[in-house]
Amino acid sequence: MHEPTPTLDPSHPRRYADFSTLPEALDYAAGGKRGVNFYSPRGELESSITYAQIRDRAHEIGRRLVHFGIKRYSRVALIAETNEDFVCYFLGCQYAGLLPVPLPLPTSFGGRDGYTEQLHQQMKSCEASVALSAAYMLPLLDEATNGLGMEFIGSPDTFEAQASLAEIKNVKLPEVHPEDLAYLQYSSGSTRFPHGVAVTHSSLVSNCHGIGVEAMDVNDDDRVVSWLPFYHDMGLVGMLLSPITCQVSIDYIATEAFARRPIQWLKLISRNKGTICSSPTFGYEICARRANSTDLEGLDLSSWRVAGIGADMIRPDVLEMFAEKFKDCGYNKKAFMPSYGLAECTLAVSFAPTFSGYTVDLVSEDVLNGDVKSVKEYKKNGNGANYREVVNCGKPLSSYNLEIRDEKDVVLDDREIGRIFLKGKSVMVGYYMDEAATKQCLSEDGWLDTGDIGYMADGSLFIIGRIKDMIIINGKNHWPHDIEWAVEKLPELRSGDSAAISIPGKNNEEVPAILVQCRKRDEEERVDLENRIKSEVQAVIGKTPEVILVPPRSLPRTSSGKLSRVKARRQYLEGQLT
Amino acid sequence: MTLNTSEIFDQICEIMTPFNIKAISIKTGTTFASDLELDSLAVMDMLAAIEDHFDVTVPLNILPDLETVGQVAEAIKTILDE
Repeated sequence: MHEPTPTLDPSHPRRYADFSTLPEALDYAAGGKRGVNFYSPRGELESSITYAQIRDRAHEIGRRLVHFGIKRYSRVALIAETNEDFVCYFLGCQYAGLLPVPLPLPTSFGGRDGYTEQLHQQMKSCEASVALSAAYMLPLLDEATNGLGMEFIGSPDTFEAQASLAEIKNVKLPEVHPEDLAYLQYSSGSTRFPHGVAVTHSSLVSNCHGIGVEAMDVNDDDRVVSWLPFYHDMGLVGMLLSPITCQVSIDYIATEAFARRPIQWLKLISRNKGTICSSPTFGYEICARRANSTDLEGLDLSSWRVAGIGADMIRPDVLEMFAEKFKDCGYNKKAFMPSYGLAECTLAVSFAPTFSGYTVDLVSEDVLNGDVKSVKEYKKNGNGANYREVVNCGKPLSSYNLEIRDEKDVVLDDREIGRIFLKGKSVMVGYYMDEAATKQCLSEDGWLDTGDIGYMADGSLFIIGRIKDMIIINGKNHWPHDIEWAVEKLPELRSGDSAAISIPGKNNEEVPAILVQCRKRDEEERVDLENRIKSEVQAVIGKTPEVILVPPRSLPRTSSGKLSRVKARRQYLEGQLT
Repeated sequence: MTLNTSEIFDQICEIMTPFNIKAISIKTGTTFASDLELDSLAVMDMLAAIEDHFDVTVPLNILPDLETVGQVAEAIKTILDE
């Protein structure tokens, strides 16, 4: 009978990511019985592979890659499906001293050109020399690699047909050092000009150690259950690499299966007694919205101890809705564990304490829109209307130095609002092959300007807003210029005619909006333009925006003539732009 | 009993009723994005309902080619015929 890998493994003493490289961590995990399991969209166990089997296969793949003649430190693009092949190839690259680059899968209907263009730009920007995907994805991958000088494009099967096991038997694998790059993470930058975060082994294991020991306090009963994609830092580091470095068994359902039937995630937690299961806010939201009474029958979420929340702004109303919906299924809202992180810091920066639930500050709108720079006067029991609940994201991991600074780089006091700066072992060495972008956010003495706005209070971090212009929809970051460029391609618009912003929706969620300078007077033509703008934006971000047509030359500019989105947003919300 | 594309289309229209918030009349050329204004999560929710109804799985690689309701009907037809 097919059984998932065990949660408990008394035969193998646990080590908490105290390794110097990822291969060393996998070699150690391979000494035990634990491993990873993949479930079908309907919840059946499809495959199960122990860390020992993963190590053996990754080792073989590593030798194949070296035998094929791929130069050390070359980039290997992997379309990141939730399956054994991805896990083994990602780790195989580690043994071969190559840099895997996880690439996204399609997430919804339509947008073929946008998708292949995104893959193309990412592979181009890191000069990838190998691109691999499942066979059925190859037509899209072929299109995406068009014009890029690749040494190999294919599926795991076609790659493995290149050499026999006998031929690769004596291939020597290179030595891997802690300061070597381990992989590239594309989750920041625009789609037009992407830049991959370069992550070293030493950054990675340091972050995994912080997550495993300080944040999650991993213990014998722990088991990870995840639907997060491997091309996202929270899925890759949080739900794959950090469990490997702490030898925890993992159960996966594919992201696309979760998007269709989110309750399968909860059913899997219930069945396998999952304890560490994290998600951005919107994952909790779709579970709460879609679960019906039949779904709740027999569901037991009492094992769930770490319900991590991160990646986008944390919305307390959603957490309440989730907790209420599943309280009769044994879900304890103390499991909620808010966190803050970013790919530029490998993944994690700070975590609320385990099994303590979430706490909030009520912060006045004057503070949120930038009129007041300090929350010293914040009200403990304000009555809602002019206050937003800001979630406590907990204490930074001990490997970080953290400063909140004002515009002049002066370090601020407790409860004063400014930009968040970080220094420490998990901070990236830079964006890969992009010195200009690196210099913009990383100082010579190693301080990273996250661009995020927040404050510290009694040692805990509160995030007011992510990078000030960024628009985050369903957990995906969108840069406003990507949206604006798409809109400004319309024949009647010019460059600088639009400003993409996000505005608060009815439930405090972020709603994408675009302000567009419009010269037309005719009502029918205006409606037609609005509709075309909607479809352009929809093609970029997968969601229909609010379109606001404003008079010509009404969008505010900075002194150097650049569009000021922050000002435009404020003017719009204050009703000055209509 | 094999369904033809137009029968599949009619059944899809019925499944889509709860997702058609704007209550527009659905034609084969109706687009999910600009006509129905569905975001990516709503699309996946609807896709799950369509897959359950026809007992099929629509593979990821064809999603980028599906812009209209008619294209989904054709894709389901192809999968059912295979």
